[in-house]
Amino acid sequence: MKRPTRLGEGQKLILTANRLLDGHIVWRDAAGQWRPSITHAAQLDTDTAQTALETLDAQKEGVVGVYEVAVHPGIPPSPVSVRERIRAFGPTVHPEFATELEP
Amino acid sequence: MNAPIGHYQYDSVDRDFLAARIDEFADQVARRIDGALTEDEFKPFRLMNGLYLQLHAYMLRVAIPYGTLDSRQMRMLAEIARTYDRDYGHFTTRQNIQFNWIRLEDTPEILRRLASVDMHAIQTSGNCIRNVTSDQFAGASADELVDPRVHAEILRQWSTLHPEFTFLPRKFKLAVSGSPEDRVAARFHDVGVIARPGPDGTLFRIFVGGGMGRTPAVGKEIFDSVREEDLLATLEAILRVYNAHGRRDNIYKARIKILVEALGIDAYREAVLAELAQMDMALYRLTPDMVAAIRARFAAPDLTAPPDATATFEADRARHPAFDRWTRSNTHPHRAPGYISVTVSLKPAGGIPGDATSSQIDGLADLADSYSFGELRITHMQNVVLAHVRQDRLFDLFQALDELGLATPNVGLVSDIIACPGLDYCALANSRSIPIAQKLSARFGDPTLQEEVGRLRINISGCINACGHHHAGHIGLLGVDKRGEEFFQITLGGRSDNNAAIGEILGPALPEDDTVDAIARIVDRYLSIRELGETFLDTLSRLGDAPFREAAYETA
Ligand code: SF4
Repeated sequence: MKRPTRLGEGQKLILTANRLLDGHIVWRDAAGQWRPSITHAAQLDTDTAQTALETLDAQKEGVVGVYEVAVHPGIPPSPVSVRERIRAFGPTVHPEFATELEP
Repeated sequence: MNAPIGHYQYDSVDRDFLAARIDEFADQVARRIDGALTEDEFKPFRLMNGLYLQLHAYMLRVAIPYGTLDSRQMRMLAEIARTYDRDYGHFTTRQNIQFNWIRLEDTPEILRRLASVDMHAIQTSGNCIRNVTSDQFAGASADELVDPRVHAEILRQWSTLHPEFTFLPRKFKLAVSGSPEDRVAARFHDVGVIARPGPDGTLFRIFVGGGMGRTPAVGKEIFDSVREEDLLATLEAILRVYNAHGRRDNIYKARIKILVEALGIDAYREAVLAELAQMDMALYRLTPDMVAAIRARFAAPDLTAPPDATATFEADRARHPAFDRWTRSNTHPHRAPGYISVTVSLKPAGGIPGDATSSQIDGLADLADSYSFGELRITHMQNVVLAHVRQDRLFDLFQALDELGLATPNVGLVSDIIACPGLDYCALANSRSIPIAQKLSARFGDPTLQEEVGRLRINISGCINACGHHHAGHIGLLGVDKRGEEFFQITLGGRSDNNAAIGEILGPALPEDDTVDAIARIVDRYLSIRELGETFLDTLSRLGDAPFREAAYETA
C-alpha cells in the first residue's frame, strides 16, 4: 500500500482525481462533491484524508485515480508541488486554457 | 479511388478490420463507463487503442505510419482538433499526432472518423511494436538508394497485432531508412533498419539495442547484409530472443538495449542465428511478389517539371532575400530535376514545438494539394514535409506558408528545438519542457544570428524517459526535480546521425532561467572559438567540453 504523504509545517491534504467521462481534473469538497475548481477543496489532515481515500467509491462518484495532494492552506489552497499547481491552474503554456477558479 | 501518393492504399480487409476493432473498443468504453470494467482492467485496452490518461484529460495518440499522410487525412486531424479537442494538435518525435484534451466518451466516435480516412491509433502505446518510423524525404531525396516506405509498410503490416509480440517486455520501436545519411536515428531505435541495393536485390543493415531513456545506448550492428527475403524472419528471430529473455521483473531494465548490453552483441547474434536455424524459413520468406504487391499500393507522382523550373527558382531567390534564406534552411535536394523537398517549420520563435492549430493543419492540407500531390510527412523533428514541390512554384508556396505563419526559416538551426510535452501535459514529467524551449527559441529567434550559428540542435526532455531525445541533442536538456523545483541538466555532443553518440553531462543542473543564459553563453563561446567552417559539433570534438563548461558556469 502507498505510504501516506508526509506533510510539511502547516500543510494540509486535499483529494483529487480525474473525471471518468472526460478525464478533467476534479477536487473533492467538504460535502464529498467533486468540483473542477480547487477553490473549495476540503483541506484535511493526514488521518481524515486516509479515511476518505479508503472509504470513497470512485466508480460511483464518476472519478478515476483518486489521490491526495499536499497544499498550503488558503482559498484557494496552493499545491506544494509544481505538478499539482499545473493540474490545479492549467498548463502554463496556454494561458487560454487556464482553469477558471470559483470565487 | 486512385492509390494515394506516398502511403499504402487500404482495401476492404484493412477497413473491415478497423471497423471491428473500433466496435470492440466502443464496447470496452461502455463497460468502463457503466462500471463493468475497473480502471485497472480497462487501462490495457485503452492503451492498446492509443488512449492515455494524462495530466489534464485523456490524450489520444494517432498513428501516422512512417510519418506519411494525405491531405484528406490531414484535414480529418484538423477536424478532430476542432471538434473534440481545443483546436490544436501536437506532432510528436515519433511522427505521430497527439490530442491533449479528449473525452473518453468521444473516443469511439473519434476513432470511427479516423477510420473513415484509413487512420487509427492502434499500437501507439503499450508494450508492443509501435508505429514504424522512416525518412521524411523517403521516395524524394536525391541521396536515397532505396525507397524505405515499401519495407516500412511491410513491417507495419507484419507488426500490427502480431500475436507473439503483443505483450513484449516493453515497448519496441522500429525505424527504416534507405539513404546513406541516417535521418531516422536508426542507431537510437530498438531496431534500426537501413536498406541499400545489392547485386541481387535489396540488402538490409540492421542495428539492435539502441534507445534513449534512463539508460541511453547506441544500437549495435547485428547484421550487415540481410537479404530481402530473410528480412521478416530475421526481425522475427530478433524479437523472439528479446521476448524470451528480456527482463519483465524491472520496468527500467526491460528494453532490448539492456538485454543486448547484458549478453553482448555477439551472443545476441548467436541467439538470433540459433532461432533462425530452427525456424521454417519458407513460412517467413518475403517474396518478390509480396514486395511488388505492397509497392503497387503506392502511387508514384508524375515528377516532370518545365525545363526552366530551376532557372525560375534561382531568379526568385535572387530577387527575394527572405525567400533565399528560407530556401537555404528549409529545403532538401530532390532526386527529380526541377523538384525540391520542403520542410515546414512548426517552430516559430517563442512557439510551442510541434503544435499546430486546426487552421494551420487545414492550410497545410490545402498546400499539399496545390504543391505536393496531396501528400505530407511528419518528421521526428516535429516539423512537416512537402516532399515533391516544383522549383518554379516554390516562391508561391513560401508566400502561402508565410500567410499561415509557417515560413520560419530555421530547420536544422538552433531554434528548431525538439521538446516533449513535459510537465504542462505529461503525468510522468519532472519539469516543464515547453517554456524553456519557448525562451530559447525566442532568444535565438533572429534569423541572421541562427544562420551564423549554423547547424545546432537543442533537444529537451521533461524527464529521464527522454521523449524529447535530449541524449541525441548537440545540446541536450533534461528536466530534473530538485526538492520540488525544476532544474535542467545540460549535455553536449549528442547526435543521431551515422556517427550517433550520447551527449555527456556538462556539470550541475541549473534553474530554468540560468539554463537559458548558460546556453546563450555556450553558443557565444562557440562563435568566438570556432575555426572557419566548423559546426558546433566540430568545435566540440576538437576542443572538448572544457571551454563550454567554463562558459556555462561562469558567473557574472
Ligand atoms: S520525456 Fe518524460 S516528461 Fe517528456 S513526454 Fe516523455 S515521459 Fe513525459
